[in-house]
Amino acid sequence: MSSEQKPKVPSVRARGGKVVALTGASSFLGRNLIGILEEDSSVRRIVAIDIVAPPTAGPKTRLYEVDLTQPGSEVRVAEVLAAEEVDTVLHLAFLSSPSHAAAYAHELESVGTMRVVTACRSSRVQKLVQWSSTFLYGARAANPNFLTERHPLRARLDEPFFADKISAEQEAGRFAARTTGAVVTILRTAPILGPTVHNFLTRYLAQRVVPTMMGFDPLVQFLHEVDAIAAFKRAIDRDVPGTFNVVGQGVLPLSTVVKLSARLALPIPHPIAKSFVRATWFTQLGELPDALIDYLRFLCVADGERARRELGWSPAYTTREALDDFLSAQRLRDVRLLQDPAHRSEATRGRAPAT
Amino acid sequence: MAKRRRRTPAAAPAPEMQKVQTGVEARDELLPPREPVDATHAAAEVSAEAAIDELPESGPEAASEQERPSLDARDDVAEFSAWVHGVGEDELEDLALEAPSEVPPRSIDDLAGELRRVEAEVDRMFDERARRREDDAPRSVVDRIRDMMPVELPGQDGTIVDAARDVLSTDYYLRQWSRIGLRNRSEEVDEFGLDPVYEARLLPLLDFLYTKWFRVEVRGIENVPKSGRCVLVANHSGVLPFDGLMVRTAARREHSTARDVRWLAEDFIYHLPFLGAFINRIGAVRACQENAERLLRREECILVFPEGVKGTGKLFRDRYRLQRFGRGGFVKLALRTHAPVVPVSIVGAEETAPLLYRFEYLTRAIGLPYLPVTPLFPLLGPVGLLPAPSKWLIEFGAPIALEEHGAEAADDALLVGRLAERVRGAIQQTLDARLSERKSVWLG
Repeated sequence: MSSEQKPKVPSVRARGGKVVALTGASSFLGRNLIGILEEDSSVRRIVAIDIVAPPTAGPKTRLYEVDLTQPGSEVRVAEVLAAEEVDTVLHLAFLSSPSHAAAYAHELESVGTMRVVTACRSSRVQKLVQWSSTFLYGARAANPNFLTERHPLRARLDEPFFADKISAEQEAGRFAARTTGAVVTILRTAPILGPTVHNFLTRYLAQRVVPTMMGFDPLVQFLHEVDAIAAFKRAIDRDVPGTFNVVGQGVLPLSTVVKLSARLALPIPHPIAKSFVRATWFTQLGELPDALIDYLRFLCVADGERARRELGWSPAYTTREALDDFLSAQRLRDVRLLQDPAHRSEATRGRAPAT
Repeated sequence: MAKRRRRTPAAAPAPEMQKVQTGVEARDELLPPREPVDATHAAAEVSAEAAIDELPESGPEAASEQERPSLDARDDVAEFSAWVHGVGEDELEDLALEAPSEVPPRSIDDLAGELRRVEAEVDRMFDERARRREDDAPRSVVDRIRDMMPVELPGQDGTIVDAARDVLSTDYYLRQWSRIGLRNRSEEVDEFGLDPVYEARLLPLLDFLYTKWFRVEVRGIENVPKSGRCVLVANHSGVLPFDGLMVRTAARREHSTARDVRWLAEDFIYHLPFLGAFINRIGAVRACQENAERLLRREECILVFPEGVKGTGKLFRDRYRLQRFGRGGFVKLALRTHAPVVPVSIVGAEETAPLLYRFEYLTRAIGLPYLPVTPLFPLLGPVGLLPAPSKWLIEFGAPIALEEHGAEAADDALLVGRLAERVRGAIQQTLDARLSERKSVWLG
């Protein structure tokens, strides 16, 4: 692969640096990466593709308002990629939390990825970096303690939140197989935690009373937001094709996480919890689908060894430190000294492709 | 240089000699009891001249040298007594008069300060001892409770307003509740979930089971390597299997390096509430190739039960008859990781819960492979699950090296089967021998 890449490298340099396009540019990862790429001298131009302008956009950033859920958007994306001579596409337009709008989610994640991949192929983009999640391995009692990249994705397919992301990964895999010389890097991140990120996990831990499953205490693993951003930056800088687990070091039992967060654990027998959560999800009163209950019962911990070895990335924060960092911000939110990100993004919620 | 100086014997006793000596004797009683002080000897060896010479050039240095244990004790004392001498105000003046060219009074002052610091330190130590004695005195109930529970009192080191604010906020109570919850738990676990604090709390119970309940006798513990990867292979039995826990306890208590043995537990335990989380915390690991390989690559010692559920589920009439050894997974594992295999025979565990019948109808629905029927269970409810106090014998056999076969031999199904059979035979043989020696189930 590297031999095919060689003739391309000087041309990038001759043009004065890389051109990086980001889909879902206003998402948490997108807006932080734009901020970093703005300061990176090896990046000539940043192409932000989203329906909301990222707040971190600087002089190097060009905004394109494209809605990936709209039919025909692949033509528009292909035009943008060709016009801007994009080398690297960062595909981050995914939902970070389950959504009741299942049709929209399917259109954005599964079909949206297909559109991005189609556009990449027609405009001869040589590198695609895609965001994925270790949740896709599925939480099962029969999981080994550390899942490697070779392990099949066995998350529950009846849950669209997982099924769409799995099919998005398959799209990227097809792109890698069909396009010779293309570098496709898929980063499966552990649940991201940190002082500024906002997703279903931070909302779960922000509750005063945290429901847990009675008698189950799985080991959990977090990734600090800074480490997540650093991993994507590393994937942009280096041409390393493949799928990588991007995870923090160390594990913590869920009960310890709840106790360290100074929350009250509410143990519920899982059959009761399951039917209750299914009912609240069905009536759109609850925020989480019942498929996520498995993650409160069984292991879903990934092994980040390959990312360390091949990508040259290793986390700066352990699971425990990521949790501590999140908690230091959460304590301020608890006493209203810091604005809750939920209120901040109220205006854009439902419209933004990802938060 | 100073050291050489000190060693030169006094050529002629100078008139100051007397003074040095008296100074030494006078101060000795006040000194903290560092070394046995032979004042006369010390005074004879050190010349007063040398002492005066040394004083100005190495004030703080001498003090630091004094702390160094490598110095000759006698030299040490001499040096110390020499500068102790300089402390009394009048004597200090004398010294200055006698050797005006070499003693700037300021450095003597420094020394006096140094000495006062030492005195202050001694005072502090005495105070501390007095305080410690107070600690032994009876304390108030509140203090005792506070020691037992790591609770932070409301408004600690704050005003009454702070205290009131604490008492009125939910967060305060949540924080205290979590702290109490964490007192039995470590805040960090190892990567397979072993909680050192939790296990340490449980050790008395494990030791009781080991020494008093099962009265475990261990043979051949030296066959477990002192360090490095190793696979222990044992027979499996008991409705609630205590064998993994007991082998772990045996290795901790009897092995010369207190080896940490991680045993691999069956899948179905992890489907059950409470049990999976519990055994994970005290050192069990879910049995699968990936976990075992990871542990061995960390140079750990693992214990496997190749019989699996078939071992624990065999009826009492089949006791000590080894079941099929899985598909030889442990042999493949040992071949791939070049780990030695140590056969372990456990006698006595079968009688802890004699299984009379396996009730398998519909038990899968609740995640159990079978419902055991023993003389006491389910007759007496959960109490019936208590193990009978049979006498145990754990024998570690000679290690079976598989090094001669390379890692690629793991793909040779015939060889793997043969090797698994060999290990099974070794365990079965030892079991039969020990069983024929055994006179009583309860007394061994």
